[in-house]
Amino acid sequence: MDFNDYELDGRIYDEMFHADGNARSHYQGVHTALTGTSAADLADIQDQVTGSFSSEGISFKVYGDDEGDERIIPVDCLPRVLSASEWRELETGLTQRLKALNLFLADVYGPARIVEDGVIPVDVVRGCPQYRIEMRGFKAPHGVWVAICGTDLVRTNEGFKVLEDNLRVPSGVAYMLANRKAVKASFRRLYRSSRVQEIEHYGRVLRTTLEELSPAGTSDPTIALLTPGVYNSAFYEHMFLAGQIGAELVEGRDLLVDDGFVYMRTTAGLRRVDVVYRRIDDDFLDPVVFREDSLLGVPGIMHACKQGNVTLANAPGTGVADDKSVYAYVPDMIRYYLAEEPIIANVETYLCRNPEGLEYTLDNLANLVVKRVGESGGYGMLIGPHATPAERAEYAEQVRANPADFISQPVLDLSRAPCLIDGRIEPRHVDLRPFVLHGRQTRIVPGAFCRVALRRGSLVVNSSQGGGGNDLWVLEN
Amino acid sequence: MLSRSAEGLYWMGRYLERAQHLSRLLRMQAEALVDRPVNEIHFGWLRVYGSLHRQPPVGSLELLAQDDYTLADSYTLADDLTFEPTNPASVWSGISSGRENARHVRHCLSAEMWTCLNRTYLRVQGMTIQDIWASSPERFYAETVADIDTFAGVAAATMYRDEGWRFLNLGRAIERVQLSSALLHAQIVAAERTRDVSEAAWTGLLRLYHALEAYHRTYGLTVVPRQALDLLATDARLPDSLCRSLDMLSAELADTAASPNDQAAGAAQRLMGRMSALVNYAWLDQDDPKALLQQLNEHGRDLHDLLTDSFFNYPVHDVPAR
Repeated sequence: MDFNDYELDGRIYDEMFHADGNARSHYQGVHTALTGTSAADLADIQDQVTGSFSSEGISFKVYGDDEGDERIIPVDCLPRVLSASEWRELETGLTQRLKALNLFLADVYGPARIVEDGVIPVDVVRGCPQYRIEMRGFKAPHGVWVAICGTDLVRTNEGFKVLEDNLRVPSGVAYMLANRKAVKASFRRLYRSSRVQEIEHYGRVLRTTLEELSPAGTSDPTIALLTPGVYNSAFYEHMFLAGQIGAELVEGRDLLVDDGFVYMRTTAGLRRVDVVYRRIDDDFLDPVVFREDSLLGVPGIMHACKQGNVTLANAPGTGVADDKSVYAYVPDMIRYYLAEEPIIANVETYLCRNPEGLEYTLDNLANLVVKRVGESGGYGMLIGPHATPAERAEYAEQVRANPADFISQPVLDLSRAPCLIDGRIEPRHVDLRPFVLHGRQTRIVPGAFCRVALRRGSLVVNSSQGGGGNDLWVLEN
Repeated sequence: MLSRSAEGLYWMGRYLERAQHLSRLLRMQAEALVDRPVNEIHFGWLRVYGSLHRQPPVGSLELLAQDDYTLADSYTLADDLTFEPTNPASVWSGISSGRENARHVRHCLSAEMWTCLNRTYLRVQGMTIQDIWASSPERFYAETVADIDTFAGVAAATMYRDEGWRFLNLGRAIERVQLSSALLHAQIVAAERTRDVSEAAWTGLLRLYHALEAYHRTYGLTVVPRQALDLLATDARLPDSLCRSLDMLSAELADTAASPNDQAAGAAQRLMGRMSALVNYAWLDQDDPKALLQQLNEHGRDLHDLLTDSFFNYPVHDVPAR
């Protein structure tokens, strides 16, 4: 394959090439290998990768889709490569960020010093729908509210930026592992010669993290992964991870609470559960405390959690820290709690709840991405430059009606990486979501769930919106 | 093991067994369409629907028998039994329900088992009766039978012999007992209702259980109904005989860990004993195998309820000491 038609645009960072068209040094191996591979062979490799996903049934679900059935996330077979030093910088930055976020959570559900000291306005915190008043006074085990975090990172010519912190029930790690398995089996020689850092131990690291957070006095804790069930979009991942960490895969109906302790129903009777890696949202966790119409949750589990008899990971209430408005204050949190400068920058963010933010947003709608504070997954957002004047006008009305529900950010020139599209290698916009685990210490497996906007020119990488995945190779030194 | 997982494996075993059993029956029906007389084909449909306790979509089979049997009727019936998604007994329902249960408990299966089952599902998914009817419907059924055999083999070769394995086999064994008792019962009923039942109706039944050669060796070349039934019920050397399925069921039941519901578990053990005794001791002295088969089938249904109460959905009285 040649890269003669590969389009480079100076405004957009290309993961593989310098602006002058030479391959970056850490991409040399992949570049040479691809150059020496025929189009037919690459097509075979792509088929192999896709085929393994289909026969293994690695699927996700798209909400609001009538067919509503399992779909396979399209995986692009070309690996994306990061150098060891690039990764080290990310690792330090992510560790720093999660540390500050955990301190923030302990603070806002405790003394709220950060609010008192005027770093974050009180209404940004208390007005956030994800702020759970029920959690006030809760002491998370070892101060860890967020044990599992998936941070969305993007790269521009200015470097890496955090697009979003996912601190509730981040998903995608199973795809990280599945993509690796499929891609390395198809690029066997290239993989070996590239000296890629392993990620297979993710399950073990996750297990260690959860064990470290188990209630005091439990050695060899019983861990259960709580899933909303087979109809959830991420069920494959829940099932997969349960197997990886040796946890029982439970649904709410499998658990019951008695006298402040959590039990699961087994064929040999009830068995006590110490740690629940919960993959259902706060709202559905406990019908006694949160939504009473929830059939997915476990009545009384919040009580058990607050008594310290069971550890919920992540703790309820962490959504206040990944709220799109609170996001704007994370750099300040880092300075406030750690007295350090943020290592990975935020994307410039305008809060429409502030009059000047609102004015700026409405004046520059054509150049901004506007997001709803409460939404995720790429739903409910406006990409200004791609919208028609009518769409923008309609959206502006919504923003004016409820300014606090919106934030805006400049349209980023997300970096692009080579992908195999219709038999040609073309650049596509990408992001990455590494997973940060925090028990008694922070651990990050050198890999990420990488998403690709497979549609030409599209900036939306969400799986639910036509995005695909690829495998991230972090090279050894 | 989590009760719900155990139950999922149990049902997976049942559904796949069901899909395979029906595929075997349909394969024979499809073969019969090539060269067998109409009354034999009719007998076959009577037997299938009788064993499923189900009415055919075309109304009554008795009515059909009065006219000349047309291929169109068989086409409709085969569609109902193979691909009809609203027919819970169809082959497709069995495969998709089996796979759906497997999806719930995928972490309890070996990776190879899942891949194997998923391939079968993907092969059959989206197929219609038109796709298989024109060329060779029997090939489709044969492939389905082989796929599920392969799945059983892959399971035997790769699955950890934990409780999950036991519940999977409990499901398979109880389903076999239910299917065989119902089919043998339906065979007798169909034979009673049909004038001039040909010997082929009985050789067909033996072939279905891979038992024709064994029969010839034991009883000679003429197939006598009662002897055929005796072989299918009581010959422990026959992999699918009733007594062997009961042995499998009873061995798996004996191996299950202590149930939190002593009462139901005890009742299940006793009922198991009675079911085995029906075939192992009462059968040969019984002049009316039809009644015995019916009783066995009812016991099977009760045993299922007792298993559910013992392991899956037991009442929670006391929480154990922590």
